[in-house]
Amino acid sequence: MLGAVHLPSNVTRRNFLKTSVAASASLVLPLYLPVQRDLHSDAGHSANHSFSPNAWLEISPDGEVKIWCGKSEMGQGVRTALPTIVAEELCCDWRRVQVVQADLDPKYGDQLTGGSLSVRTSYDNLRKAGATAREMLLSAAAAQWNVSRSECRAESSFVTHASTQRRLAFEQLLAAASALQPPADPPLKNPSDFALIGKPTRRTDLLAKVTGAAKFGLDTRLPGMLIASVERSPVYGGTPRRFNADEVKSSPHVRAVFEVKSAHLTHQFGETSGPGSRNYTCSGVAVVADSTWAAMQARKLLKVAWNETPLAAESTAALRERMLHLASEPCPIVRNDGDFEKAQATAAKQIEAVYEVPFLAHATMEPMNCTAHVRDGECELWAPTQVPGAAAESVAQALGIPRERVKVHITFIGGGFGRRLIQDYAVEAALISRDAGAPVQVVWSREDDMRHDFYRPAACHLLQAGLDAEGKLLSWRHRGSSASIETFYNGTGISPQAAAQVDSLDFPALFIPNFRLEFAVAESGMPLGYWRSVDASGNQFVLSSFFDEAAHAAGRDPLEFLLATFGPSRKIDLGNQQSLDVGRRRGVIELAAEKSGWHKPLTAGRGRGIAAAFGWGSYVAQVAEVTCDAKKGALRVDRVVCAVDCGTAVNPLSVRAQMEGAINFGLAQALKSAITISGGRVEQSNFHDYEVLRMSDAPPVIEVHIVPSAAPPGGCGEPGVPPAAPAVANAIFAATGKRLRRLPIRAADLRSA
Amino acid sequence: MAISFTLNGKAQSVDVSPDMPLLWVLRDTLNMTGTKFGCGMALCGACTVHVNGEVTRSCITPVSSVAGKKITTIEGLSADGSHPVQQAWMEEDVPQCGYCQSGQIMSAVALLSKKPNPTDIDIDDAMSGNICRCGTYQRIRKAIHRAASMQAGKAKSAA
Repeated sequence: MLGAVHLPSNVTRRNFLKTSVAASASLVLPLYLPVQRDLHSDAGHSANHSFSPNAWLEISPDGEVKIWCGKSEMGQGVRTALPTIVAEELCCDWRRVQVVQADLDPKYGDQLTGGSLSVRTSYDNLRKAGATAREMLLSAAAAQWNVSRSECRAESSFVTHASTQRRLAFEQLLAAASALQPPADPPLKNPSDFALIGKPTRRTDLLAKVTGAAKFGLDTRLPGMLIASVERSPVYGGTPRRFNADEVKSSPHVRAVFEVKSAHLTHQFGETSGPGSRNYTCSGVAVVADSTWAAMQARKLLKVAWNETPLAAESTAALRERMLHLASEPCPIVRNDGDFEKAQATAAKQIEAVYEVPFLAHATMEPMNCTAHVRDGECELWAPTQVPGAAAESVAQALGIPRERVKVHITFIGGGFGRRLIQDYAVEAALISRDAGAPVQVVWSREDDMRHDFYRPAACHLLQAGLDAEGKLLSWRHRGSSASIETFYNGTGISPQAAAQVDSLDFPALFIPNFRLEFAVAESGMPLGYWRSVDASGNQFVLSSFFDEAAHAAGRDPLEFLLATFGPSRKIDLGNQQSLDVGRRRGVIELAAEKSGWHKPLTAGRGRGIAAAFGWGSYVAQVAEVTCDAKKGALRVDRVVCAVDCGTAVNPLSVRAQMEGAINFGLAQALKSAITISGGRVEQSNFHDYEVLRMSDAPPVIEVHIVPSAAPPGGCGEPGVPPAAPAVANAIFAATGKRLRRLPIRAADLRSA
Repeated sequence: MAISFTLNGKAQSVDVSPDMPLLWVLRDTLNMTGTKFGCGMALCGACTVHVNGEVTRSCITPVSSVAGKKITTIEGLSADGSHPVQQAWMEEDVPQCGYCQSGQIMSAVALLSKKPNPTDIDIDDAMSGNICRCGTYQRIRKAIHRAASMQAGKAKSAA
């Protein structure tokens, strides 16, 4: 594939999403930059020559620079960060850059947006794209002046020749540059010369987003477009047995009422969906009407009898019992260092605890939706999707047409968080458009969105640890149990280790001599998916909280205990060209602690807690400060201090926004949200019973401190999420002496705990 | 039967079912998509508009109830982002995904018209009906304070 980023063969894309630790896994990616002429339309044939040496950029005769964004903008700032990288090497005037969202096209390489990967996997490629164009412009100017190329400089959309004080604007060089052969290996700028990378750059989509002009998926409007509202089986996998189509069809403005059959989705990461994979769309009944309101109103008249599945017997309480039972017995081993049993038996002090986290919905602000137009054996999609390639593939499969006949336009996305890695809404739209014979927008209500998500799995964890006479951690055993996202998508044929929702490298693995990690998959019929930071979202709460318990059991300050367990700064070789950088871990922990004033005493009822997460190529530590009133059962997060080492921070404003947002997202998990099931049905429906963080809950102060670094960029979408919940839980313990081991923490728990 | 109201300063008449929420009249009938659908139950604030200057969740407001009234939507603040609250939003780099921001801005404008110099508690009270899943709350607070001082500065220089 042109421009594809090839991941190392031993690392699957799924693992990249899942990996929470992967240390400083050197992301050595072979790059291929498509060198194509006149990629963008007919520009090359006119006298007014545009210059477009590759897929990523075009300079037009008026000097305006178009830069294509190959990833999906869902708030994380790719439409700013990625063009910044191109513009940096191109040496153009940033004010003259217009960012264009790329449609799905192989020339943009892998367009999956997820796993905190966009900047990491695009960085080298996009630098090269910009540098290629800059070098060609330099060559064109040098030839025109008949001087050596090395004497010419590009800056702010001009090429200058200092000794003769001559300069040419980029737009004066387009025809000459276009006639040149693109260099295969253009020199890249020295980072110390960066004018854009590392400097705060405001978002390129600001104006559109403060004027209401930004077009999200739901804002797609096509001539003759109909709206569909779908009643889906309340139990995942169920099918409609009968329904009152005629009655509903007679409602005003209703065009059609028909069954939408379940379709298996192709694996979103291009992996094999083996036997037992349950990656499919919900079947249901579509009500197609002239307007959203007409469709929603008519749908209320639907009476559907459903064929149900074994999931209909499932409940949160029964699943919890199953997971607790599984975790109480030996489970398949994921990691085993030393001899846990022997060491634990000799430990001077032993501790044990059970932790629990619930199912979670993504609850993006823009409910799921997609617009499709199927005609003449082709399908055009306007999709708020994180994986346009998977949308095309799944739709092609469902319609029985070649993938090349599915065109995907990527809209602004009103929140992704992993939900839009799954392409069910795209397949629904395509099937309904086909059957309605018109362009159709499928609009999910909030209730649809809440009840038909692919959920972060609920989990139970049983942990035991032993301390030696000096109060050092001697032994640690962690048994986790949950339903498995991996078997949900890949099928039941995968190994227990591949199915496990824990990471064998998660701290404190490697830092405790007798360490065992076990995991048992709990059977569940629930649809499962990747939720911002995936396994680490729940696991970090468990690990950092229990580690805090160990510190207190040892009578040590949690910060000091954490640093002592890490030991001195060093790199630990993990094989496979991976290493774990203890220095960078210590660096963020020490920085967050220092900026928080860790050792400054707090008044009664207040406390500080610390937690950290490492992964996605980045290092994050957070200190939360809380005020608790145990009598009233009141809890307030006053302040969160966050230190992040993400290597080169391409756009510090964006890094800060991602950390602030991740903390608020993590606090919603810590304090607000839970999905429960009864009779196989999700019990929550909207924001009154699935609560998320609101302004009044948001900490008055979030400080983000970015560690200066010239290391390759790390990911920023996810690593800020996992530490927030345990930092708060640890702060509550510091304030009240109460250890809360179940999420979400309700203020009332302070009373009963 | 046609229902008439003033929309962003201009007379507007629509012929729709009287129980259709204002949100869908704006989005589907009038193609003004700046006002967003989030929950349909006035729980998230994405659909916030002003009706006679009051913050109103358009997703639960039947269009018949706004007959003869003045409606302002995000499109009515300014198309070029020149409204002080839009300016402050851009200065503070507030939006992330941006989906909730029309509603956030409309709530902030209404707050500032009633309380030109709001405290953080005023902001909590006025803004807690507007959910942001990207978590831009801290920057929204800053932007509201900034807009307040911008407007105060403007009032001062005008005086």
